[in-house]
Amino acid sequence: MIYLRTASLTAALLIPLLAGCSHLGVSPWERDLLAKSEMNLDAEGVDLTLDDHVYFSKEGTSGGRAFAGGGCGCN
Amino acid sequence: MQLGKHKKISHLLSAAACTLVGGGVQAEEMLKDWDIDTAVLIYNETDRVSAMEGVVQATKDFGEGHIFSGKLVVDSLSGASANGALPQPEAQTMSRPSGKGQFETAAAETPLDDTFKDTRVQINGQWTQPLMTDLRASGGLHLSKEFDYQSIAINGSLAKDFNRKNTTLSVGFSQAFDQISPHGGRPVALSDMVIDSGQFATDQDYWDAFDATRQTAGEDTKNTTDLVLGLTQIINRRWITQFNVGISDVSGYMTDPFKVVTQVDDQGNAVAQTYENRPDSRSKAFFFAQSKVHLDKNILDLSYRYSQDDWGIDSHTLELRDRFSLGGKSYLQPHLRYYQQTAADFYQRYQLSSTALPDYMSADYRIGEMSAYTMGLKYGRELENGHEFSLRFEYYQQSSSGPSSDLPALNGLELYPEVKAAFLQLGYSF
Amino acid sequence: MMTGTFTLHSQGQGTSIKFNAMASPCELLIDTKDPSLVQQLATLATNQVRRIENTYSRYRDDNLCHRINTSQGHPVTIDNECFQLLCYADQCFQLSDGMFDISSGILRRAWRFDGSDKIPSQTDIDTLLPYIGWQKVEFGESFIKLPLGMEIDFGGIGKEFAVSLVAQKCRESAPETSVVVNFGGDIEISRPKHDLSPWMIGIEKPDSENEAEQLIKIAAGALATSGDARRFLLYKGVRYSHVLNPKTGWPIIDAPRSVTVAASQCIQAGSLATIALLHGNRAEEFLKAQNVPYWCSHANSIN
Repeated sequence: MIYLRTASLTAALLIPLLAGCSHLGVSPWERDLLAKSEMNLDAEGVDLTLDDHVYFSKEGTSGGRAFAGGGCGCN
Repeated sequence: MQLGKHKKISHLLSAAACTLVGGGVQAEEMLKDWDIDTAVLIYNETDRVSAMEGVVQATKDFGEGHIFSGKLVVDSLSGASANGALPQPEAQTMSRPSGKGQFETAAAETPLDDTFKDTRVQINGQWTQPLMTDLRASGGLHLSKEFDYQSIAINGSLAKDFNRKNTTLSVGFSQAFDQISPHGGRPVALSDMVIDSGQFATDQDYWDAFDATRQTAGEDTKNTTDLVLGLTQIINRRWITQFNVGISDVSGYMTDPFKVVTQVDDQGNAVAQTYENRPDSRSKAFFFAQSKVHLDKNILDLSYRYSQDDWGIDSHTLELRDRFSLGGKSYLQPHLRYYQQTAADFYQRYQLSSTALPDYMSADYRIGEMSAYTMGLKYGRELENGHEFSLRFEYYQQSSSGPSSDLPALNGLELYPEVKAAFLQLGYSF
Repeated sequence: MMTGTFTLHSQGQGTSIKFNAMASPCELLIDTKDPSLVQQLATLATNQVRRIENTYSRYRDDNLCHRINTSQGHPVTIDNECFQLLCYADQCFQLSDGMFDISSGILRRAWRFDGSDKIPSQTDIDTLLPYIGWQKVEFGESFIKLPLGMEIDFGGIGKEFAVSLVAQKCRESAPETSVVVNFGGDIEISRPKHDLSPWMIGIEKPDSENEAEQLIKIAAGALATSGDARRFLLYKGVRYSHVLNPKTGWPIIDAPRSVTVAASQCIQAGSLATIALLHGNRAEEFLKAQNVPYWCSHANSIN
């Protein structure tokens, strides 16, 4: 019963959210700023790779942007 | 081949078109060759590890969304690393992880194993292509090898665009297989470090005692499964945002073979250095949100990550980058990052020898309670030939914390030392 | 003369002007917010487009095209622009070994590309073939003389010509401003933007039934597309494209659904795309030999 209520509540919250998404956004010719390479979400690709390696070996949590993956025995 | 049969008429048509319309400009090269990003990082911790790392990333767009990306990372690391043992009021002697030789720690100093040395080579390859309209697939392979560790991972993801490519939903999967073969072997969990202080009649006696603390069988692999769901949404002409939720399941050997927990008597004097032991499974869940906003003169990049796992580590990470255009082709980008985590349930700074050993324990500060911040500044400049050069400096400071001790021998000793690191990165893209 | 109406939108740092002409949505993207420059270029573009449409459309009965096609074998006086267009069409005819022929339009009397399976009889086609053949047409700087019963059709080059002409007029009137001329997906850029960043242009995919737009990035030069997935005949499992072979009177089989070519001028890109389609299943081979960027969409591809 509680799962059912949670599920329907989630759906009730999520559906307007997704519907709301269709009002967001831009037309193709309005992508001038978004098309800049520095507006890519992973624009700092190489920096993030290096940072991730530092933080991966110093902290208890890693990942989030992409896959945590394996690859290092330092933690 | 019939190819030779076709006349090249494009230049004749071009001439005819010029006559017809007048003027005319040459089309510029529209499909670029390989994009190469390179960087070298020099990393230095105060009194501890120093490292050098190089990255070469190559991306090629084969047109119509077919993209290959490959990455090579090489790094070399050496220096000293805290092995988890407590500082003591007097000097201490401990065995190196290989069993060969010992290292001394001065009174009141945190014991640092100074034989930390490794070289790692990592190769990634990733292929992305459309499957049908607004649906992309991507697959990749990751290999990494270091002296005592190797890893192979595969990943796959699907991304679907909606709402005129303003909304993208993605689902990704990754599976990694790691193999651990530490120098000196894997210690027997919760066994005591053998330290030669003259109690062995012969070398053979010492090595017999040392070998008794080594595992000959058992788990030496680690498998990681990751699942990520992502939503990318363009809000308006200046604002793009992303949300990821994911779970990660790790099983296998996650104990650090070089780390110990000091056992102390009721006065706080060390009586044994006991090899740590961690559970062989770990389940994590995370939430990640990022927004990038293009303002008139600068671009703000703000992200937040919350992560939780069944070891009891909860963490929050907040990160901000602000890219200021300096006019022309150069920019300045300050960077701030704040991180905080709670300790793993089995983290303990030391163990009282009068109480029974728990199943799992670790004094590794990296899974203890901590907070850390990073401050950085990057300068980038596009050169006249279209290449880009960048220089980045970051300062990282980590403060561990935990319950203080009222044991007399530990009075006035620093149980939770700070770690300070600085790194400098040079980048070049062409 | 009709000056036409257009709508104007502010688009980021630039301005977009939209109007309908030549049975297509037409758009100008101008990298400026200067209202007087926008007004000037908008007027220039709409005037040129209406003029070209009025002069060369075969759907009117009061224009030059109509006078030429109803000349009953007599010479018709033409101006220099028409002469240049005929020269260009002649070049295309020569360079394509007679496959690109602006006199082949009368085959439409036999072929109706409405998605049906109505195939004309060989007799129907045979009665039309004697009235096709650009080599039979005489023309000079001030006249054109069609043999009796023949017609010409500028439909294959008119829109691309309009794009290139408007781009050239923009180049002359506003040499410092980048302008994208986009008439129904045929595009030419007057000059690159000052920061050399590409324009992002949404074009309707010629082969999709829905409204999905394809987003392209282009910094300079021109693009043109030939082919139309909605105009075909399906007979005994064979899909006949609306591109007709002027020598046989039959459609080209196995041609790509559409071909997009990039070149420096739109009219050149358009002719290369059309000539490529006329090569049927050897279209890509032909395009490779031209050393121009191109994109083919095939009938069996997933949309």
